[in-house]
Amino acid sequence: MVKDNIIHVTDRNGVTVARICAEAILNETQVQAFGQALLALADVPGRRVILNFLGLQHLTSLALGGLIRLHKRLAESGGELCLADIDPRIYELFSITRLDRLFRIFDREEEAVAALLAEGRAGA
Amino acid sequence: MPPSLPKEGRGPSVPSHPTETPDAAGPRRREACWTEEVLPTRLTAIRESERKVLARLAALGYGEDHCFAVRLAFEEALINAMKHGNRMDPSRQVRLAYRISPDRVELRVADEGAGFRPECVPDPTVDENLQRPCGRGVMLMRSYMDEVIYSANGTEVRMVKYRASPVRGFPKSGRRC
Repeated sequence: MVKDNIIHVTDRNGVTVARICAEAILNETQVQAFGQALLALADVPGRRVILNFLGLQHLTSLALGGLIRLHKRLAESGGELCLADIDPRIYELFSITRLDRLFRIFDREEEAVAALLAEGRAGA
Repeated sequence: MPPSLPKEGRGPSVPSHPTETPDAAGPRRREACWTEEVLPTRLTAIRESERKVLARLAALGYGEDHCFAVRLAFEEALINAMKHGNRMDPSRQVRLAYRISPDRVELRVADEGAGFRPECVPDPTVDENLQRPCGRGVMLMRSYMDEVIYSANGTEVRMVKYRASPVRGFPKSGRRC
């Protein structure tokens, strides 16, 4: 288990769950820490990551850019990024920007974990 | 009348005095005063100004949806000014002015950069741009505010959010680039 200032990372049977530990991602320190923490998740090739947004009430386009970079890094290595537990107002940002087409989004973390574990078993 | 945006030039034109505006019903009514601030080009400088704006909104009883919309546009405008306008050059400043009334929120942000043409920002929602990590700030501002007007050279933006307007984060017709 790894805990840093901005995300809290756990492993659930081979699926990485990263919970955002911030109400907002705005200032320079938060944005940098968030971006670095996200890219660190892509250090393991083929990693399947669920990013849990529970508690996050605000973010900016800078943070959206960090998510896109992580999505690309993971996809390039055969991994995947899923998002879960997104506040309705935050979700609207994904809808407006059409990023809901880019990211795989689940209502709840448990649903995302179950889906990825099932896909892992099917692909084994 | 609200202060007009500059037609040309690099400098911001934030208002310097409280203004009075003729009311639609006839008699003149006194408007809220503009608050002006000069910020360094540093993202951390946004937080204190944001706190004051949100406190004013709360004091006037604006709802959570309006606060979310104004906060988002406020942040995006200032981030754009610092990052894309001033290129994070610490020798440049950002001028901020805001006026918060019971019926509307007005924001003005001006940078010292070279300016840009908002209509030339690529549409981030089309497939070929979907994986670009940048280019969504202007779209979000237009989506959440009722008016978003850039100066001719693109160094200053004026935004208005009306209390009476519903908060839906989708672009209003005719306001997209």
